[in-house]
Amino acid sequence: MPNAAMKLDLSHIEHVAKLASLSLTKDEAEVMTAELGDILKYVEELSQVDTSSVAPTASVQLGPTAWRRDDVQPGLPHDEALAQAPRQADGGFAVPAFVEGGS
Amino acid sequence: MIGHVAEIADRVRAGETKAEEIAKTAIARIDALDPQLHAFLAVPREKILEDARAVDRKRAGGATLGKLAGVPIAIKDALCTHGVATTSGSKILEGWIAPYDATVVARLAAEDAIVCGKTNMDEFAMGSSNENSAYGPAKNPWDTTRAPGGSSGGSAIAVAARMTSAALGSDTGGSIRQPAAFTGTVGVKPTYGRVSRYGLIAFASSLDQVGPFATDVRGAARVLGVIAGHDARDATSLDAKVGDLEASCGASVKGLRLGVPDEYFQDGLDPEVAASVRAAIEGLKDAGCTVHPVKLPHTRFAVATYYVIATAEASSNLARFDGVRYGRRVEPTGADLRAMYGATRDQGFGREVKRRILLGTFVLSAGYYDAYYGRALKVRTLILRDFTEAFANVDAIVSPTAPTPAFALGEKVGDPLAMYLNDVYTLPASLAGLPAISVPCAPTRAGLPVGLQIVTPALDEARALALAAAWEARSPAKDAVPPLAR
Repeated sequence: MPNAAMKLDLSHIEHVAKLASLSLTKDEAEVMTAELGDILKYVEELSQVDTSSVAPTASVQLGPTAWRRDDVQPGLPHDEALAQAPRQADGGFAVPAFVEGGS
Repeated sequence: MIGHVAEIADRVRAGETKAEEIAKTAIARIDALDPQLHAFLAVPREKILEDARAVDRKRAGGATLGKLAGVPIAIKDALCTHGVATTSGSKILEGWIAPYDATVVARLAAEDAIVCGKTNMDEFAMGSSNENSAYGPAKNPWDTTRAPGGSSGGSAIAVAARMTSAALGSDTGGSIRQPAAFTGTVGVKPTYGRVSRYGLIAFASSLDQVGPFATDVRGAARVLGVIAGHDARDATSLDAKVGDLEASCGASVKGLRLGVPDEYFQDGLDPEVAASVRAAIEGLKDAGCTVHPVKLPHTRFAVATYYVIATAEASSNLARFDGVRYGRRVEPTGADLRAMYGATRDQGFGREVKRRILLGTFVLSAGYYDAYYGRALKVRTLILRDFTEAFANVDAIVSPTAPTPAFALGEKVGDPLAMYLNDVYTLPASLAGLPAISVPCAPTRAGLPVGLQIVTPALDEARALALAAAWEARSPAKDAVPPLAR
């Protein structure tokens, strides 16, 4: 751990919420700061483990991934893929403007 | 009453019972019991009856029916079911109709099972009590003031209350085994990669695994045999022989070496659970097993390791829920794209899901990645190594599935950490990718179920099933049905 007394404050949570695309209310952010602070305090027990000569395990998959033939397979038809879009336009998913001059 | 998997399939295959009759019984039991239990989020009655009639027509037409002919099976709502609402227990997917079947669901249907609806669960499988469902909690049929466990709570209840003979769940850190223990059912978490996850709504991809619940070990083995095996649609699914799992249920366990880890019998373990599990281990000794102490010294770090790794992976997996292509969208007037994402996710996700997304994003963020995520991956190596070393000397590791019997609804809701600690015995096998079974042992004095957990080396589900069946044959909890479901 960077330091055993890592203190989580509201600015951390606001930053992380932005990274995670979550619009939290101020009240929610304050509650989360306290709750995540407690959880992180618990997680810090991992700093007691000597991991200096230990390799990380990112996956426990046994053996290599199986090969498959590179054949064309049918996918979801266009109309079905689009059928449950909250908003659609011109055969695509419609979203609010995100570039200058968009609509 | 709904019978065991093999009994029903054998009767339907032999033409002694019609699948439609079984389906009607299942629906009648759901209608009678579910208002009290809330195990189901969707019960497509017409489709269930139509599927059952199709099985009967197939037999009438001279075809041999499949291994699960007419068997009613409930499906955790984290699995996609073509044409049926699939929410993963979240408001962000409210009303979404899956446009395809998960591979496991298609495999059940191909063996003539009757898919009997979608079961309640903690939102996105994040929880240990089913209280994080956006659609309201489910109730334990042994005591409706108590939690059924989670996250696959609804699937466990459906089987415990004999509304269905079997159910599918998913297990990331104990989400099949712990509810199986709390409800007195058999639950199997297969080896990581044993069962396809195509069509499973992802929580933590290095841990998630689909598996069965059933009223007996043989039924769980038959369902697992149907759903297991390589699927080209899931790159993590293993191309490994499955074998005849059901046959192992009658296999001798004489001479098998059972490891009992001290670390699983320490502070925090309910004394009645300890006594019940010790009696089950004695029972396996009577069946010819030998018992040996083993050391799993990193067990106490499993909860912290898991909650870093699982939340990190979840924060990435759940990024796809943005309101663009499907599910709920919240688009405040004048909102730009980022504001739409933020509002959709704030209103669509519940408290626990947000908590885990924030934690996962934090442990992966610049400046904290090495200290939290990187370190957790290294401790995972040590947990895995503990098992490898233990399995050099024993064939299986036996322990309680959960430290307590079912706890009261509301008891741990306000304390996320206390809730996480209930998973202490199921998390290590998940982190190590190992197969594990929970099988009922003697109940507590108050009549609450207790589970024995059996963990075996990777791909050795057969031996875990053999041990589970050997214990089941001696277990005082065999065929126990909760009073309200009799």
